[in-house]
Amino acid sequence: MALDPNIRINLDRSVVLLVDDNPQALEALSAMVRGFGVRKQFKCGSGAEAMHYVKNQELDLIITDAQMPDMDGYDFVRWLRRDAPPELIFTPVIMLTGHAPRSMVEKSRDSGANFILTRPFTPEILLQRIFWVARDERQMVKAENYVGPDRRFKNLGPPLGIKGRRKDDLSTHVGAATDPNMDQNEVDMLMKPARVQI
Amino acid sequence: MSKTEFIKVQNRLSQQLAKPGGMTADIATQRARRELAAQAGDAKKSLGVTIGRMEVMVAEKTASADEIYVESAIVLDIAGMFDMRTLCDASYSLCELTDRLRTKNRQDWGSVGVHVNALRLIWSKDDKDAAQLKSVVDGLWAITDRLDAS
Repeated sequence: MALDPNIRINLDRSVVLLVDDNPQALEALSAMVRGFGVRKQFKCGSGAEAMHYVKNQELDLIITDAQMPDMDGYDFVRWLRRDAPPELIFTPVIMLTGHAPRSMVEKSRDSGANFILTRPFTPEILLQRIFWVARDERQMVKAENYVGPDRRFKNLGPPLGIKGRRKDDLSTHVGAATDPNMDQNEVDMLMKPARVQI
Repeated sequence: MSKTEFIKVQNRLSQQLAKPGGMTADIATQRARRELAAQAGDAKKSLGVTIGRMEVMVAEKTASADEIYVESAIVLDIAGMFDMRTLCDASYSLCELTDRLRTKNRQDWGSVGVHVNALRLIWSKDDKDAAQLKSVVDGLWAITDRLDAS
């Protein structure tokens, strides 16, 4: 489901942390995010370095590579969701993965990231995921073995601002009323059985 | 058993995204593509160097499956940022192959060598001729999948 190209986004004031151990990939990620209009971004090459930024900066979004030497993206997000300063525990995280070794499948599932984005991807896809993460209305779960977004999906329709694939696909997001409230007579008329001619 | 908490969180990103100003998604992605294009030359060089390191490994036959996996993952990492799908598919196959090899505690330089040669070929064609290169990638996957059966 593509992001509506005419939808407006404003990431001018967002502070984004980018984490990737490969300098070339980190630069490419930084270039993409700069193109989206993000002015303030921090770049780092390891989970351990990322922990330092989380402890010392206010962040609005974290985009991290999954596989890194020493502390990988999964361990970093696990730390973030459990031991980071309280105001940052639920910072939205997009995890970028390449190949997922068999040994990492469970770790990935339980990491607590908001979205996992597999390579290759285009700027359109990354922007779409940022938009989804921003509009993500899932509750956060804090349990003994898992801290992160609720993984149980309900059919809430497409996110607000995204066109559904079917013509009757509507978001459950209600929004503010546009018409005046109905009076009691009008409400009664809605429920009143009416005589019909067959 | 400890209690599970459900917490409704309002993230700041959502509020910032909706503030007046900014740009349309279309303009944002066009700008991102331009920024990315400026990095493409350096990325191509990096990919060439990484494939070169794997060629040395194949020639010397002393590296472990882990070491090849790491290099192949670097190719996937960089190529994935530039949407080089064929190169990604080929490096993914090599990652999968080396992951299976290390799980089985085996080494197969013949299969690894074919993958590395294919990576060099795809790299030299700048990920173009995707239709023609698909048969190369299909061949790589046939090699990788054969390992699972054996």
